[in-house]
Amino acid sequence: MPAAKHRQQQPLPSLRALAWRRRAAKLDYWLWPWLLPLIILGLWWLGGRQQWLGSQVLPSPGEVLDSLTELLASGELQRDVLISLERVLEGFLLGSALGLALGAAMGLSERASDYLYPLVRLIAYVPLLGWLPLLMLAFGIGETLKAVLVAQAALLPVALNTYNGIRAVPPHYVEVGRIYGFSRRQALWRIILPAAFPMVWSSIRYGLTKSWLALVVVELLASSEGLGFLMVDSRQLYRLDAMLVAVVSIGVVGFVLDQVLAMIEKRILRWRRAGFAS
Amino acid sequence: MAHAAALEIRHLNKQYIVDNQPMPVLENIDLSINPGEFISVVGSSGCGKSTLLRLIIGLEKEYQGEIRVDGQPIVGTSLERGIVFQEHRLFPWLTVEQNIAVSLLNANQSSKSKHDAVHAHIEMVGLKGFENAWPGQLSGGMSQRVAIARALVSRPEILLLDEPFGALDALTRSHLQRELQTILRQEGITAIMVTHDVEEAVYLGDRIVVMEPRPGRIKRVVDVPLARPRDRGSYAFAAIKADVMADFSEVIAPPEPAPPPTHGLSPSWRFSW
Repeated sequence: MPAAKHRQQQPLPSLRALAWRRRAAKLDYWLWPWLLPLIILGLWWLGGRQQWLGSQVLPSPGEVLDSLTELLASGELQRDVLISLERVLEGFLLGSALGLALGAAMGLSERASDYLYPLVRLIAYVPLLGWLPLLMLAFGIGETLKAVLVAQAALLPVALNTYNGIRAVPPHYVEVGRIYGFSRRQALWRIILPAAFPMVWSSIRYGLTKSWLALVVVELLASSEGLGFLMVDSRQLYRLDAMLVAVVSIGVVGFVLDQVLAMIEKRILRWRRAGFAS
Repeated sequence: MAHAAALEIRHLNKQYIVDNQPMPVLENIDLSINPGEFISVVGSSGCGKSTLLRLIIGLEKEYQGEIRVDGQPIVGTSLERGIVFQEHRLFPWLTVEQNIAVSLLNANQSSKSKHDAVHAHIEMVGLKGFENAWPGQLSGGMSQRVAIARALVSRPEILLLDEPFGALDALTRSHLQRELQTILRQEGITAIMVTHDVEEAVYLGDRIVVMEPRPGRIKRVVDVPLARPRDRGSYAFAAIKADVMADFSEVIAPPEPAPPPTHGLSPSWRFSW
């Protein structure tokens, strides 16, 4: 019988085979993201060993690691990380708070959006560094300059996405509020904000990343401490190993900052996870 | 048992302005509904039946004529009138319990009695054990149960239903129709249900208001003098259903406007590799 034959050809996988398959899938999950970085690291290591480039140009991973322990032991790296973190948080909090207020004003008031939205859009098209010369004249090259630039980096994405998020709140939800006699205040806090929250929060995450990148750039140009300074200073002293330590630290800190916000998001948006993942 | 209100609609006209031209939606609607009565409103699309409900609930302010609840003209929305829409309109960021409590937010009650009312209504719609579920975890029928509980928990005098079961599968729909009937009998309140399902209209209504489109008018009102619970298979039921259906057989409804073309890729679109 053809059916029986077919069954014979494709036996059901045994439990053990299934377990192996699951293990393999798990391995896939952990292995693939690491594959490319590991290859690059391997090539780097090999290149340093075979002297493809002089160690003056491309220090080997070992040298960078030595430099890292050295910078950690002297406390220099920690100090620079802390200074950069402090600056970014300061500027980011200021910028995202202003961005939230601006975006909410534009989203909630037709008049505010008429007056402000075109200008905000226009400003958003000027790259951050375009403002630097002007801001340097206004604020000098001290801490104020950094705070303003970092704040501005977060302000625009947060403002624009808060505006769009509020605009995108389904009118159906607002009607439910009207039916149950919600005041404007209740509608704002209980309907519009929660409905707009996912979009607003993702812009806050994006804003923090932008702030971090902006800070490093300003530190490169005008600073005597911080990770950006460590980078430019090492380059000037031709200590490329220390410079690479700074590069990696910048990446790691940026990643950790974003992950912290992602964790908060998971917690606040558990209704979303529950809705789609179960 | 909540007080059931009488509803009086006199010379009701409603128009929208489209391209600076008035477009009549409802024309000269006269209808009086007795306390505790269940009215089904049937009509093809475009007959203004949903607009009629929006006027009664108080979401639309511009109209000519009178809408009176127990003799008082309506002013805006009120907790005395509850509504269930075709889409459940639950807030996805609130649990079942919190969603139902939304309608008591501005009610003049102690938080204890609010809590008790919410739980009594969760039990009434058969969702005990789902108090802390998120709407995203519920099926369409369960969501609509929550919406019914939310509409009833503030003890309205009139319940409006805008195609409440229109998006549900046939089995769930007939099940919920039966339950709605039991619940409304317990609550003893006035109800108006808009539907385009004639069988549903006959099964639930004491009277059926048949509307015709463009502009929306009442064509006639059909009495349903059948004892409850009604037997959908009985001859009398089928006769009334056929009578009402006959109103829709002659007109071929103009085609529904096509859904707007969607741009870009659907969010679920992804390479499979």
